[in-house]
Amino acid sequence: MVNYNTEPVLKVEGLKQYFKSAGGYVVKAVDGVNFEVYKGETYGLVGESGSGKSTIGRAVIRLYKPTDGKIIFNGVDISGKMSKTDTEMLRTKMQMIFQDPMASLNPKKKVGEIIGEGLDIHKLYSTKEERKAKIDAILKKVGLAPEHFERYPHQFSGGQRQRVGIARALIMNPDLIIADECISALDVSIQAQVVNLMKDIQEETGSAYLFIAHDLSMVKYISDRIGVLHLGHLLETGTTDEIFSNPIHPYTKSLLSAIPSPNPAVEKNKISLTYDVREAGIDYTEGTEHLIDGTHYVLGTDEEVAKWLSE
Amino acid sequence: MDERKKILDVKNLDITFKTSAGPIHAIRGVNFDLYQGETIAIVGESGSGKSVSAKAAMGILAGNAVVNCGEVLFNYTDEKGTPEQVDILQQDIDWIRKNINGKRIAMIFQDPMTSLDPTMTIGKQVMESMIWHYKTPKKEAYDRAVELLKEVGITDADKRMKQYPHQLSGGMRQRIVIAIALACDPEVLICDEPTTALDVTIQAKILELIEMTQKERHLSVIYITHDLGVVAKVADYVNVMYAGKIIETGNVDEIFYDPRHPYTWGLLSAMPDLETDDDRLVTIPGSPPNLLHPVKGDAFAPRNEYALKVDELAEPPMFKITETHSAATWLLDPRAPKVEMPEELKKRIARMKKEGNVNGKL
Repeated sequence: MVNYNTEPVLKVEGLKQYFKSAGGYVVKAVDGVNFEVYKGETYGLVGESGSGKSTIGRAVIRLYKPTDGKIIFNGVDISGKMSKTDTEMLRTKMQMIFQDPMASLNPKKKVGEIIGEGLDIHKLYSTKEERKAKIDAILKKVGLAPEHFERYPHQFSGGQRQRVGIARALIMNPDLIIADECISALDVSIQAQVVNLMKDIQEETGSAYLFIAHDLSMVKYISDRIGVLHLGHLLETGTTDEIFSNPIHPYTKSLLSAIPSPNPAVEKNKISLTYDVREAGIDYTEGTEHLIDGTHYVLGTDEEVAKWLSE
Repeated sequence: MDERKKILDVKNLDITFKTSAGPIHAIRGVNFDLYQGETIAIVGESGSGKSVSAKAAMGILAGNAVVNCGEVLFNYTDEKGTPEQVDILQQDIDWIRKNINGKRIAMIFQDPMTSLDPTMTIGKQVMESMIWHYKTPKKEAYDRAVELLKEVGITDADKRMKQYPHQLSGGMRQRIVIAIALACDPEVLICDEPTTALDVTIQAKILELIEMTQKERHLSVIYITHDLGVVAKVADYVNVMYAGKIIETGNVDEIFYDPRHPYTWGLLSAMPDLETDDDRLVTIPGSPPNLLHPVKGDAFAPRNEYALKVDELAEPPMFKITETHSAATWLLDPRAPKVEMPEELKKRIARMKKEGNVNGKL
């Protein structure tokens, strides 16, 4: 069980990430987002493409320099200029798993080298034997065999490659793993294997996950809490139960109605809801966070929230 | 009910790909048929041969493909109105390009960005096939293209005609691809993962659009997908493929409410529905076989917890369950021990049926 009374592993406050594009335009990819992730918890970020979910993941791990806002990781502010020890802490204790395992693994390196690279950079072993033992233990943990150490990424199947990606993240013993669409490129039967593996690892190590995905049924299954993003704004956040059984924001509702269910009798009669920001006349920048109950927050003006609640 | 008219009949299709690593036996005896106005879905994991089967039906196989045997019988009426039947596999490439591709059988591909030409205006791309196939005068083609764009739900159709693909969003681009496919009034539409590259909210809209045009134009549709949610929404009949073979076929209710093949059980249980609250997802262990190596016995046996001894020796034939439903597993042989589907799946199907009854009445 997740203990919500402790300090969160990751605290994001008013995060803004703007990009300058050609012609003097500014793309507001993330525009004032607040959320927290606790130890041993999985926080799911969902939204359509362009909603800023990957940008948040990349800003949090500091692949970008945030335009504004605070990112507090393990009690340290990592949003601005960091000291050497803070950088070191961030680079070891926060790890990322990427979407396409083929594109994120170096094709010219053996799997053992890929997994051990983090250990080399941060000098986390004293002897060669210790290094090998650490890598072997991780390989075993993600369901690969020690002989896989000597193989190249192309010799693996998609599911196995993603296991290598997970092993590479795990070997640093991270407190937070950012999983950016880490199962979208896999087949259904393999997705289930990887998700089960991630759950097992979380139980064992107590790492927190920031799980970024567009597949809502998987997000519902793996997440403790969910945040719904649209156009750079976090529209609704709450426990999985709160979001799925009592969606308030019209965008969340349309998103939930669009999930295809593997049940023909239901699916054939379903007509999905449409949502268009302009048609709905909602200006996200004017909204404030409203508490519905428990940990369930919705972004909107007072009138909007009152209207949605009465519907 | 009118009598069902068979449009496409694929019989005993067998295809090998020549590669530098050796021959890959990608399709190992595939049979399916398609009737007018109906929708079939071909479901399977990547590498199961679902796309290759459809490409063979359209005569657009890759150059290194060798058709070992099989027939693709296509029934159509020619320009003079006489019914004709051809075996697409026996026709030469020029004939197929002139008479089949884009004209009678059209295809919608997965990624709209790669299937549209980035250097050509949208109008030109929609008009292209009409001008090429029917020598439609330019003015007329232009008007028809605008009509088509309106039909697929594109606003400001006149303005869009002059725009380029990069100026549109993913969902809009896929609508353009659909408009292009419909340009020559085809009889068969093949949709190869039409919504995989799109967001969920847009996915539902595109599927509803395809369904609507299908009803209006009396199209026959083949869906190729790995997403069972999509299948549940659109299909009348479902073919489940594994390692180059169809291992279970039936109408959509039979596949979802009464699956018989252990692989179908696995597929259905591996996808969490919104009610799944168990701690673990049911998985199919291992990964699909590499078809570079010849398959002995049942290709699914190594991953099948219900595998019998005979599975290692002989390939199971299709066992008929009902008129429309059959499955290739030795478990259906009268001599086989009686094996029931996993308990969780049984519960889920009961739940689905209940939910379907409640919602179906609305």
